[in-house]
Amino acid sequence: MKRLIALMILSLMAHESIAKAVVNVYAWGGEIPNRVIHEFEKKSGIHVHFSTYDSNETLYTKLKAVRDGLYDVILPSSYYIERMVQQDMLQPLDHSQLSNLHNLDSNFIHNDFDDENKYSVPLLWGATGIFYNQSLVRDPPISWSNLWETPLKNQLLLLDDSREIFSIALMRLGYSPNDTTPQHIEQAYQQLLKLIPNVKLFSSEGIQSILIDEDASAGVVWNGDAFKAHAENKSIKYLYPKEGFVLWVDALAIPNKAPHPKEAYAFINFLLRAGVAKQIGIIQGHAITNAAGKALLPLAIRHNPMLYPPKDTMEKGSFQHYPGEETVALLNAYWQQLKLAF
Amino acid sequence: MRLLKKIYLGFIYFFLYAPIIMLIMYSVNNTRYSLIWQGFSLRWYHELFVDSGLWAAFFHSVWLGLSAAFISTTLGLLTCIQLFFTRRKKRRFFYALLVLLIVIPDLVFGIASLLFFNFSGIPLGFVSLLIAHITFCLPFVIYTINSRIHTLDPNLYFSALDLGASRVRALTQILLPLLWPAIFSALLLAFTLSFDDVIISYFIAGPDYNILPLTIYSLVRAGVTPELNALCTITFLISMVLVIIANKLKRVSP
Repeated sequence: MKRLIALMILSLMAHESIAKAVVNVYAWGGEIPNRVIHEFEKKSGIHVHFSTYDSNETLYTKLKAVRDGLYDVILPSSYYIERMVQQDMLQPLDHSQLSNLHNLDSNFIHNDFDDENKYSVPLLWGATGIFYNQSLVRDPPISWSNLWETPLKNQLLLLDDSREIFSIALMRLGYSPNDTTPQHIEQAYQQLLKLIPNVKLFSSEGIQSILIDEDASAGVVWNGDAFKAHAENKSIKYLYPKEGFVLWVDALAIPNKAPHPKEAYAFINFLLRAGVAKQIGIIQGHAITNAAGKALLPLAIRHNPMLYPPKDTMEKGSFQHYPGEETVALLNAYWQQLKLAF
Repeated sequence: MRLLKKIYLGFIYFFLYAPIIMLIMYSVNNTRYSLIWQGFSLRWYHELFVDSGLWAAFFHSVWLGLSAAFISTTLGLLTCIQLFFTRRKKRRFFYALLVLLIVIPDLVFGIASLLFFNFSGIPLGFVSLLIAHITFCLPFVIYTINSRIHTLDPNLYFSALDLGASRVRALTQILLPLLWPAIFSALLLAFTLSFDDVIISYFIAGPDYNILPLTIYSLVRAGVTPELNALCTITFLISMVLVIIANKLKRVSP
């Protein structure tokens, strides 16, 4: 029996080493569809080892914990790109190997977390805004400060994410969502304490079902989730507050010690194709950063203001930045206190 | 009083099985995100069979679980037989060392394995997962088989030797048939432990071997899709069949 098992293990390992080209992709769960990966494998002959994570922290610790290169392509959020660049964890990209890079929307080429795509290629993006259920809320909240009003007592769904929620309070106070001044964060905390009576629940998971089943009548969510919920419950509305809002971007990058850089470029370049970007946009229901791909999307998606707000709205958005270890620790400490007050 | 007993039992089983029944219901619910009943549909089962990403992870997990279960049961069985014939004092000491491994938190074990693999240069992937899974299954296997082996009289084995049986023959014809139910339950236990481990695998999973529990975990943020519920239902049914087989076998064996 043992000999048989040993043989099987050996054959499995042999199979792995005989196979020619591989690329190890580590991405957010639910952002790169399987269909796209199969298509890439078929067209390029490169085998994709695909695994997924549920948070930037998971990705970061995995990369830090292992000495040798494990992954070829990763998909961190914008502020983690900044953090990883600061710590010299990413390779500068060779643009000559990314012939489809020009398909990107210029908003994401000239971004302030990684200008000119020196280290990263944005794939998907979204925004944090306000949703409300028009059959349950009489006066729709149109600005962040409306969320503090008494008619919304015990009604709100807030993202379970310290950065996102502190950004709201900072914007309400007129500061930048990326403000790292401790006094301003303290003020934001005081604001949030006053918001607590209106909060019904904190959640970053299963948001669509909370919206569709009307478990909360208004709150702070990502636009992609509101878009998907709207498809099943037409009373769900979503808007971009006038004070400004935070944009997230998940961008592809190649870690420093990537074992198969050539295949990594092929994979990234494939995802940059207009047709592939279009598929990702349709299947995953997030907004894509690919201008050429967006032009191929069905009108109903392309012109949907929830997913693709008009240009003047977009200008009010700001990318999330990495605030530094100290600010993260401060935010987390306040966040714990806030949750205790809940 | 009797009624109270029945109600109590009813409650226990309700709490144990209600979540699983909910899961099965959602897997046939005709809606993607909503948790409210929208009608019966098998479309998620259909989508599951088309979505090969989840299946690949599922089969990876099954293969890993089977390998870990067979190897750890074989190793564990031999250890138990060895311990059975050792002197009492020594035995206690070794046994205590094993129980320690059962109570050690997964988190500690996960970090320790990661350090070990980093240090020894074994690449993260199938081999690292297999080694770690065998390691954490082994104490449970030994625990299970040991509790059975101690109900046996060592003289059974020695009288077989006295009557001229070779050591191998005494092992295969006397000890193994008596231990069979325990071996089988150890095998099942090891498979289950390996199949649903998240914490340890989280640290030591590599890029080329993606397993089901980690995939499920990473999908929670994007929204648990009904395909996942369908897959969990199928997994539940398979384990139910296994348990029924195990019970039948137990009755057959002496």
